Amino acid sequence: MNAAIIGQMAISGALMGLVYALIAYGFQLTYATSKSINFGQGELVMLSAFFSLTLTNLGLSQHWGLGLSYGLMVPGGLIFGAIMGLVVERAGVRLALEQKSEGWILLSIILGLFFFSAAENIWGRDDRPFPTPIPEEPFHVLGLAIGPREVAVAVGVLGIMGLIELLKRKTLLGKAFEAVSADRDAAELMGISATRTVMLSYGLSGSVAALAGILVSPITTVGPTMASAIILKAFSVAVVAGLDSGFGVVLVGMFLGALESLASFYLGSGWREAPGLVLLILALALRPTGVFGKATIRKV
Amino acid sequence: MLLVEDLHAGYGASEVLTGTTLAVKQGTVVALIGANGAGKTTTMRAISGGIHPTKGRVVLDGKEVQGLDASAIARLGLAHSPEGRKVFGPLSVEDNLLLGAYSRLPRFLGYRAKASADLDRVYDLFPKLRERSGQAAGTLSGGEQQMLAIGRALMARPKVMLLDEPSMGLAPVIVQEVFRTISRLKAEGITLLLVEQFAKSALEVADYAYVMERGRIAVEGTPAELSRNERVIAAYLG
Repeated sequence: MNAAIIGQMAISGALMGLVYALIAYGFQLTYATSKSINFGQGELVMLSAFFSLTLTNLGLSQHWGLGLSYGLMVPGGLIFGAIMGLVVERAGVRLALEQKSEGWILLSIILGLFFFSAAENIWGRDDRPFPTPIPEEPFHVLGLAIGPREVAVAVGVLGIMGLIELLKRKTLLGKAFEAVSADRDAAELMGISATRTVMLSYGLSGSVAALAGILVSPITTVGPTMASAIILKAFSVAVVAGLDSGFGVVLVGMFLGALESLASFYLGSGWREAPGLVLLILALALRPTGVFGKATIRKV
Repeated sequence: MLLVEDLHAGYGASEVLTGTTLAVKQGTVVALIGANGAGKTTTMRAISGGIHPTKGRVVLDGKEVQGLDASAIARLGLAHSPEGRKVFGPLSVEDNLLLGAYSRLPRFLGYRAKASADLDRVYDLFPKLRERSGQAAGTLSGGEQQMLAIGRALMARPKVMLLDEPSMGLAPVIVQEVFRTISRLKAEGITLLLVEQFAKSALEVADYAYVMERGRIAVEGTPAELSRNERVIAAYLG
C-alpha cells in the first residue's frame, strides 16, 4: 500500500467523478426553476453519446480527419442534448407542473425507457468505441500518471459549469433564471416568463447531459446501458451535496469518484458501486437536505 | 387606464370575487379597502394574472388582458407590487431593481447602463436602497424590503401600478414613510391602485376609493364622500 498508488487511484477516480458532478449539476438546474428533475437523464446522456458518435463517424466518412470531425461534433452533440431536454420538458414535465401534480416523475421515467428502446433499435445493443483525437497515453506529473482523456473530462466539466454560472450571475437572463428559482410568481410579475425559464433550464440540463456523454464515452465506450451505473451515482452526488450547490456537487463528485476507484482497487472491482450507495444511504439517513444544501429531493 | 368589469375569480371551487367592477383613471390614485377576506388581494391577483378570472373583463390601456399569463400582462405595462413584498431574497438589491425593468432591457449585457437613469430615480426616492445596493435583498428589514418592492415596480415605468398592503407588518413610523412616498409618486403623476388595511391613511392619499365586501364593491366614492358614509365610518374608520 504505497502512497503513490493511493494518490494515483484517487486522482484518476476524482477526475472521473466530475462526470457524476456534471450530471448532478444538470439536476440542480431544472430543480432550481421547476422543482422537478428528469429521472430519464441517464438516457439523455446515452442518446446524446450515440448521436455524437454518429456525427463523428459521418465526419470521418467524409475524410475530414478525426480532429475536425470531433471538433464539429461537440457543438452538434450539445445542441442535440438541448433539444432532447426541451422534448422532456414539453412531453413529460410541463403538463404535470401546470396541474401541480408529481406526474413528471413517472413521465420522465417512461420517456427514458422510450429513449432506451429507441437507441437499441437505431444503434443496436453492442458497446462501441468512441473515437477521439485526445491521446490515451498518460503523462507524468510528480510521479503520477494522468490520462489526457481524464483531464479532458475535468476541463469540459469545469468549463461548462463555469460558463453557466457566469451566465447566471452576469447576464440579465441569468438573473431572471435566479429570480424564477427564488420566487416564480414574483418573477412572473416582472414580465419574466416562468415557462420559458423552465424550458431554458431543461435545455441547459440536456446540453450538460450530452457533454457528460461525449466526455465519458471515449473512456467507457458507447452502448444503451452505458449510463445506468453513472446516473445512479449522479443521483447519489445530488442527494449528498444537496440540490442547490454547484460547488457542492463538484466536491462530492470528486470525493465519490476517488472513493470508488480506491474501493475497486483494494476490495475488488465488484465493490466499485458500493461507495456511492453507502454514501446515498448515509446521506438520506443523516442529512436529507444534503451536506451543502437547503432543499431536498421529495422522497418518492 | 385600468378597467375591471364584473370580475369573477377564486381558488379551485371556492369563488372569492363575485362580480367586482372598478376603474382607475390615468394619473389617479385609487384605494381599495375592506375587511380581511373581502377579496382585495384576490382582485389584485386576478388583474395581474396570478389567477385567471372565470368571468369578466380586465382592460389595461384599451387592451383586454384577462386570461393572459402574468408575465404577458406585466410586459403590457402593469406592475404589481404584491402582498408580502416578495423580493428575490438571494439576489442583491440592485439585481432586484434591474429585474423590475426586465421587459425593457437587453437580456445579456449592457442592461445596467440602459437602466441607470431609472436606478438613480429609485435610489433618489429611497436612499437606503443605494446604501444597500450590493446586499442580498433577503437581509433587508421589512420596511426596506417594502421600499425595494415599490422601487422594483417603478423600474418597469408602468402604465398602472398595483400596490398591495404596503404597510403590512411595518412599524408605524415606517408606515408613515411609505405613505409619504405614495404621495410623492402621486405628485409625479403615477396611476396607482392601492390595497390597504389602514383605511384612513389610504383615503388621505387617494383620489377615489372602493370598499369591498364579500367579493364585490359595496360602496364607492371620493374619500370625502366615504368619510361621511355612516357604514364606512362604523366599519373601517371608527
